Amino acid sequence: MDNATHADSSTAHQQEGPTPRAAVPEARSPEILLEVRHLIKDFGRFRAVDDISFVVPKGKIVGLLGPNGAGKTTTIHMLLGITTPTAGRITYFGREFVAHRQECLQRINYASSFNTLQGRISVWENLLVFARLYGLTNPGPRIRELAAYFEIIDLLPKRYWDLSAGQKTRVNLIKALLNEPELILMDEPTASLDPDIADKTLSLIEEARRALGVSILYTSHRMDEVNRICDEVIFLDRGRIVAHDTPLGLTKRIDAAQLKLTFDGERRVVEAFLVERGQRHGFPQPHVVSIDTTAAQIPALIFGLSERGVWITDIEVKKPTLEDVFLRIARGADDVG
Amino acid sequence: MMSGNRIGAVLLQELYITKRSLEVIMDLLVFSLMTVVVFGFITRFLVGAMNATAGSYLILGLLLWEIIRINQYSLSVGSLWNIWARNLSNLFIAPLSLTEYIVAHMLSGVLKTLVIFGVISAIAAYGFHFNILRLGPLNLALFFMNLTIFSWAVGLVVLGLIFLFGTRIQALAWGLIFLFQPLSATFFPVSILPPVLQSVAYALPPTFVFEAARQAYGAAASSGVNWSYAAAAAAENLIYFVLAVQAFALMVARSRRTGQFARNEG
Repeated sequence: MDNATHADSSTAHQQEGPTPRAAVPEARSPEILLEVRHLIKDFGRFRAVDDISFVVPKGKIVGLLGPNGAGKTTTIHMLLGITTPTAGRITYFGREFVAHRQECLQRINYASSFNTLQGRISVWENLLVFARLYGLTNPGPRIRELAAYFEIIDLLPKRYWDLSAGQKTRVNLIKALLNEPELILMDEPTASLDPDIADKTLSLIEEARRALGVSILYTSHRMDEVNRICDEVIFLDRGRIVAHDTPLGLTKRIDAAQLKLTFDGERRVVEAFLVERGQRHGFPQPHVVSIDTTAAQIPALIFGLSERGVWITDIEVKKPTLEDVFLRIARGADDVG
Repeated sequence: MMSGNRIGAVLLQELYITKRSLEVIMDLLVFSLMTVVVFGFITRFLVGAMNATAGSYLILGLLLWEIIRINQYSLSVGSLWNIWARNLSNLFIAPLSLTEYIVAHMLSGVLKTLVIFGVISAIAAYGFHFNILRLGPLNLALFFMNLTIFSWAVGLVVLGLIFLFGTRIQALAWGLIFLFQPLSATFFPVSILPPVLQSVAYALPPTFVFEAARQAYGAAASSGVNWSYAAAAAAENLIYFVLAVQAFALMVARSRRTGQFARNEG
C-alpha cells in the first residue's frame, strides 16, 4: 500500500522494541549516522533542493542554516520520508533509507515547533501512544524518567493544548527522546519561543546531547543558537549548499572587521591618515573613530596613527559574526562560499 | 510485517481521542441515537397507516446504513484529527507504516460500529418492536461484512483525496458517503428507481445487501441467505476495495511527491 511496506519484510526477523544498536550491521563507517548524497527536490519547475550532499557524524550537532525558502524544511521532510526526493540518496547508519525505512526510523526521531501532539488528550496519553509506536514494552518508567529530567512531571496529566509554548517544546523533546534515538532531526525547535524559554530549551538540548550522547541535525535561522550548539554549519541558499564549515571557520571567511579607536589628538590628523590609506571611516563621537577595514590591516593602522602622534586610549575590534555570514549569503555575496 | 504493537498504539490514540471529543460522540453516537428514534417513530406511523412490512423497511435500512456511515467516518475523519492537531507527521516519522495506520483505523471503525449498531438495534427492538435478529445471524454477519468492506473502499478514496488535496476538501469525509444512500436503495426497493439508476444501483454492493435484507425481513419465518446477492456484493466489493487500495496508494505517493503530505499540517 505504501513504499514502506516492503521495508517491513526486512525487519521481520527483529523483535518488537527499540532496535539494539549493535544488532544492525554497519555497511560504512560507523562514525557516520546520516549520509546525504546529491539530494534534489523539484516542485514542478521550481527546484527547492539542488544537489546537496553532507554527512552527520556520530556525536556531532550539525546546523542546517539558511534564510526562509532556502530548502531547510524540505530537506528535513525528505530525510524523514514524508516528502519523496526527486533524486539522490539518503543513508542512515549505512543503510539505504528507502529500502529500510522502518528500521532507520526506529533509531532516529524528530522535534519541531511546526508539529504538535494531540491537543485533546493528556501529555501522558500522547507519550504513551508514541512509546508504543516505538515498541517500548514498559513505557511508564521511561516516560517518567524523561519527564523528571525535563521537569514536567506535574504536566503529565494535563491536556497538551493547555500547555504553554515552552512546556509543549519540552514535551516534544521528550517525545523525540523516547526511543533513545542515535540521531534527532530538529526543525527550528525554538521558533515559537520567547528568548528566555528558547535559552532554557537550548540548555536542555545541550544537556541531552552530553548526557545521552545523541547526534542532532538542527535547522534554524537564529545565528546565536547555531553558534552556541553546532559543531558544524551547513549554509543553504536557494536549495544549494553555499558554505559548510565550523561556526568559527565560517566567520573567518569574512575578512572584514570593524575597528573602533578612542584617541587623544587632532581629528584632522586621523582623518588625513585614513583618507591617505583609503579606509572607510566615521566619527561617532569627536574623539572616537570607527573604521571599516580588514583584520590584516589593523596593526598597520594602529601603528601608523601612533607614528603621527595620535595617542590611542582605547581599541575595540568587532569581528564578523555568524550573522554577518548569514546576511552576506542571504544578500547574495559570493566571498563566503 | 505488520506490528500489532504499532496497530495497538494507533487504536489507543483513537480511544483517547474518541473519549475526549464531543464532536466524535455527537457525530457517531448521538446522531445514530437521534436518527433511530426519528426513524422509529416514522416507522410506527407508517406501520399503522399502511403496509406494516414496508414501513419497517425504513428502520431496517437505517440500521444497516449506520454500518456504512460509522465505518467510513471512522476511517476518513480519524486521520483528520491528526492533521488538525499537526500530529500526522509525528506518527509517520515513527516506524509506523501506512498499512498499519489504515488497518488500525479500519479496526477502530469496526469496533465503534459494533458498539453503536448494538445500541441502536437495542433501541429499535425495545422502543419500536423492530427485531434486527429476525434477519438471522449468518445474514447479519454477511451484511455487516459487505457493508463494512464497501465503507472501507469509500473511506480509503476519501482519505487519499484529503492527503492529495489537503483539508480544503475535508467535507467529503463526512458528506460524500450520503451520495450512495439513494443510489443503493437503502430505504426502498430498487424497482422504485428509474431504469438508468437501477443499473447504477446494481453496480453498488450495498444495493444487494439492502435488497437481501428486505427479502429476509419480509419472509414470514427466518429465511436463509440469498447467496447470489451475497456473492454479487462480495464480488463487487472485491473489485471496489482493490481499486480503492490502488487509488489510495497512488494518491499518497503523489502527495509525498508534491509535498502536500507534509504541507497538510502547515
